Formats: sequence, C-alpha cells, structure tokens
Amino acid sequence: MIREVVFNLNGETAVWNGGPAARLLDALRDGFRNTGVKCGCREGECGACAVILDGMLVNSCMVAMGRAGGSEVMTIEGYKKTERFAALDKSFASVSAVQCGFCTPGMVLAAECLLRENPRPDEGEIRAGISGNLCRCTGYNAIVKAISSAAKDGEGLW
Amino acid sequence: MVSYLPVSLNEALEYRGAGGAIPYGGGTDLMIKGDKDAAYIFLHKVPEMRGIIEDDKYIRIGACCTFTEVAGNPLCPAILREAALQIAAPAIRNLGTIGGNIGNGSPKADSAPVFFAAGAKLRLMSLRAERIIPIKEFYLGRNKLSLEPDELIVEVLMPKHVSSRYYYRKVGAREALAISRVSFAGLMDIKEGRVMHCAVSFGAVSDVIIRRDDIDAMLTGKTVSEAKAVKQAYLNAYNTAITPIRGRVSEKYRKAVCMNLLGDFLAAMGI
Repeated sequence: MIREVVFNLNGETAVWNGGPAARLLDALRDGFRNTGVKCGCREGECGACAVILDGMLVNSCMVAMGRAGGSEVMTIEGYKKTERFAALDKSFASVSAVQCGFCTPGMVLAAECLLRENPRPDEGEIRAGISGNLCRCTGYNAIVKAISSAAKDGEGLW
Repeated sequence: MVSYLPVSLNEALEYRGAGGAIPYGGGTDLMIKGDKDAAYIFLHKVPEMRGIIEDDKYIRIGACCTFTEVAGNPLCPAILREAALQIAAPAIRNLGTIGGNIGNGSPKADSAPVFFAAGAKLRLMSLRAERIIPIKEFYLGRNKLSLEPDELIVEVLMPKHVSSRYYYRKVGAREALAISRVSFAGLMDIKEGRVMHCAVSFGAVSDVIIRRDDIDAMLTGKTVSEAKAVKQAYLNAYNTAITPIRGRVSEKYRKAVCMNLLGDFLAAMGI
C-alpha cells in the first residue's frame, strides 16, 4: 500500500501526501510551487508540462505520483542552475526562439534530453526530438535554430 | 482507495486478485482521465514485466517495457521497432508500455496491428493459472478483452524469425501525437520467387484489428507471377472484408486508405 510518495525533486528530497493517483504536474505546480512546469492540455498532447524523470523526458500530466516515487525529477527550476541551461538560454535568446514563453520550459528540457543522447543532431533529429512539444507563437524554425546553435556553441557540454 | 507498488510478479498478482485497483503500465492512457481518487497497481518495478529476452520459441517482451525500450532493443523484430518509434512523441514513448497499449483495448493501439500480423501471443497470469493465447483471441470486441478481473498481461510473445520484409504505415492528422485514422502492418516472406508467408492487419478501422488469414492464404505458396495474377481477387476479398466503423473520419475515407495501403504494401513486396 502506498501511503506517501517520496521522490527527489531537483536534487532534494520531496514528500508528497496528496495521494498516489494525483498528477505529477499538479503536485509540482500546486504542491511544490515549481510553476515553470506549465499545464497546457492534461492529455499528453502539448509537452508544456515536460520534466525529466530519471533521465527521461516525460509529460508530467501523464505521470501519477505513485509512478514518481523513488525517482529523480528535474524541472526547469532545477535545470536552470546548470551550465547546459545557460547555453540553451543564450541560444534561445539570440535567435528569438521565445515569444509568449509557455512552451519554453518543455522545449528546453526536450532539447536537453535530445542533446544528451545526440550532441550534434541534424535538423530532422531536432524536429523529432521536439515533436511532442507544441509552440503556437514563433513557429518551430527559430527553436530548431536555437537548439542547433546551442549544440555548436556548447561544444563539450553534452 | 488504495494503490500499490509491487516489486515482484507474485506480489502484483496478489494485489490484482484482491480486486479494485487498476493495473498501471505507463499511465499515458489512464492519466488522460486522471481520476485522482483512482486506485492503481503500479507495475514498473515488477522485474518479470520489464525484460526483453529470447527463449527457444519466442522473443518475450515484458508488458511494462516502454516504446522507447522496444524501439531500441535489437531483439525486437524490425517492424515492431519501427512501429514503436512512430508512436506519439519521445515524452510519451518513454512512459507508454506495450502491455498498456494492448490492455487499454482500443483498436487504435498502434502496436496492435504488428502483433496481429506477426501472430504474437500473450502470457496472461493470475494467482490461479497461466494462459498463453493468440492476440487475436484476446480482443473480443470494442473494449472487450479476454482478461479475467484477477489476470495481468505479463508478456507479449513474439514468434522468432518474423519476416524482415515488412511494411508499416499509420495515417493520422499529423506525424507526431495523432490518433491513427488507419494503421497497417504487413509481412511477406518470399523465397526463391515464391510467397512463403503473407500476413496483413488493419488497425483503427473496426472494433478490433482486422486480420484475415483466410484471405492472406490466397497468396501463400504462389510464385510471384501467380500472386500477381490473383492480386485483384485478393484486393477484392479485403475490399469486401473491411467494413469501417464511423469515427472521427468517414467510413469511405478509412476504406480508401486501407485499400491504398494494401496496394502499396503489395507493390513494395514486388506483387
């Protein structure tokens, strides 16, 4: 029987008592105030709530807290302390790959997971890597360009 | 309601047998509803459901293997790996499991046509018994499965030597994250100019996946030129057999796509 859910959030132990069937998305936003995790659709279609669960990109709306127990969860709040974030931050800004910003945390984490597997992706691979993340402002070209330039300028980081 | 996190198959079967809790594979279907009061049996820590292993008869794929794991495992047949890689998007493939895809009971499950075409079997277990049944016998109708309330899908058993000559396509509104309007899997073995085996299946068209060995048998044993001669009769037989249900797209559209894919499959195989 699952009573409480203990997991690691951005390097620190986190305890959740709101029930194992609650969405990781809601726990992160409402319970742990990681509001960089955005809620777009609640059905796994938009990627705005993407986080890194044990090294994998997942949509946090699709994860029940019972599944997250014992796992390491990294949100944009944790990722922004890394050198890799700094490289992506710079490249996203330099090509204006951000407009309203709602998709950006998910895009950045999708980019991290892509570059971790494939440090020098071509355009098609970048598009496949962010295929689960919807953007409704800039279009995708600027985002693809940003990820590509982060891969080049951040040589050695991934 | 109480949820559980078993760490062995036996423990998982005990919780399943006790009733009331829903088996949770990857959660990507269950969490769409996302009932916060639901009781789940989280299965991701059950080692017997996590492996991909080869025995003397089958490639045995644990029901809790994710699509990412299936796509990346060279033991899995190429058609299955390709289908897995086309499902949804990375963040869903990292969670979604093959057992969940099947157990959800939808004819739109993207992996199901591959399992039908390949003649896969399912290993179902309860504390009472173990059953191994062909996947075709598992789907009884729309959302009706041959799964007892105390049973879990433990493994998918893929026959070894699934043809490397395959054709897999799905048609949706967009490439990523779209529910299939039609999915199609086809396998054909041709040796020394003779069709040794042909198996096709259509998903997302009817209440269950369409798989007709009797029609595919029209091509089996034929030389390529003989197969070409019966091609039209074969297409006609499927044209009669496929009766799409109404859905988000029209029956007429679905039927046309099915027949186009079938024709394209035969052409790709040189028939």
